[in-house]
Amino acid sequence: METFENKLIDEIEELQTKFTKTTQKLIKDVKRQDNIMARSDKRQQQEYDELQRKFAEVETLQKEIEDTQKEIVFTMGAIGESRSKETGNHVKRVAKYSKILALHYGLPETEAELLKQASPMHDIGKVAIPDAILNKPGRLNEEERLIMDTHSQLGYDMLNSSDRPLLKMASIVAYEHHEKWNGKGYPQGLSGEDIHIYGRITALADVFDALGSSRVYKEAWDDERIFKMFKEERGEHFDPRLIDIFFENLEEFLKVRDSLKDVK
Amino acid sequence: MENLIMEETKYTPSINLDAQKGLIELVGKSYPENTFEFYKPMMDWVEEYFNGNEQFITTINFEIIYFNSSSSKLFFDFFDLIEEMREAGKYTEINWIYDKDNDSALETGEDFKEDFEELNFKLIEK
Repeated sequence: METFENKLIDEIEELQTKFTKTTQKLIKDVKRQDNIMARSDKRQQQEYDELQRKFAEVETLQKEIEDTQKEIVFTMGAIGESRSKETGNHVKRVAKYSKILALHYGLPETEAELLKQASPMHDIGKVAIPDAILNKPGRLNEEERLIMDTHSQLGYDMLNSSDRPLLKMASIVAYEHHEKWNGKGYPQGLSGEDIHIYGRITALADVFDALGSSRVYKEAWDDERIFKMFKEERGEHFDPRLIDIFFENLEEFLKVRDSLKDVK
Repeated sequence: MENLIMEETKYTPSINLDAQKGLIELVGKSYPENTFEFYKPMMDWVEEYFNGNEQFITTINFEIIYFNSSSSKLFFDFFDLIEEMREAGKYTEINWIYDKDNDSALETGEDFKEDFEELNFKLIEK
C-alpha cells in the first residue's frame, strides 16, 4: 500500500530544522555575551584596582610635597629667629596663636591652617639685618632702629616674587605684621582694615609671645602686665575685634603657651 | 572598489580597508560612544568587498590595545561574517596582534581563536 506523504510533516520538519538552527545560534550568542561580560567585569576590576593604586600614589606624593613645603617654610622662619637668638618655639607658638585668632575671626579652616604655616616667616627679613643690630643688648639708637625696621620690607621682597599661595600669604605677613590699627606702625603706616587681616593677626600673636618671653634686651613680662597693655592697645596697636577674641578665648592661648614652653 | 581609511581618534582605532591589497586593518583603541554606528561603514565595506571584489587571500590585522565590551561584541559579529565568507570559499588570514603586557587583549584574542575554529586565526605577540 502506498503511503500517503503528508506535506504538513515536511513543513513541520523544515520548521524544526530552522528552529534548531536559530536556537543554537541564540545559545551561542548568549554564551558569547556572558563571556564578553565576564571578561569586561574582570578588566573593569583590574582597571579600578589600578586607578585606586594610582590615586593612593598621587595622594602620597601630594602629602610629601605639602610636608616638604611646610618644613621648608618652618625652617626658613626658624632661620630668621635663630639669627636673633630666639628659640624655635617662638615660631611654633606664633603659628598656633595665629590659627586660633584666624578661626575665631571667621576665616575658613584651610585659610587659617595656611596662615599657621605662613606666620613663622614673619621675621624672615631679619636674616638681612646685621648681627650687631639684631643682637645688640640694650636699646637700639634711632639709626639702628630704622635699619631694624627694614626687615618687614626685606621679608616682603624675599617672598613676594613667589606665586605659591603660602609664600604670597607669608609675604603679606612679613610686610604688615608691624603695622598698627591706629596707623602709627611701619613700614607703610596703614590703619584699620587697610592692614591685611593676616598682618593684624600675626601682629597680635607675635607681640603676645614676644612680651611673654625674655629677650637679650628685656625680661619676660608677667601676664597681668601683658593683659593690661593689650586692653590699653585695643583699637590703638591692635584690631579691637582681635583683642576681644583674645580675651574671650584666653584659655586656648595659654594652653598653647604651656605646651610649647622654651627650654632654658 | 574604493578603499576606506579612517584616522585614529582618542576613542577609535585607525581603520585601513584596502581592496587592492586585500587588507583589512584596525590599529588602536576602541571605545566609541556608539560602537555599532561607528563600525557600520566598515561592516558595509567588508560585505561589499567579499561580494566579488575580494583578493584570493585577504589579510586581516587587528591590533587593538583597549576596547569596550560592545567593541568585543562587534568583533564577534565581524568574525561571524568572515566565517560565513570562509564557508563560501573566501580565504582569509587573521593576525590578532597584542602587546605581551596586555593580558586582556591576549585573552580576547584567545576567545576569538577558540570560537572560530574554522578560521586561520593567529595570535601574534608584539
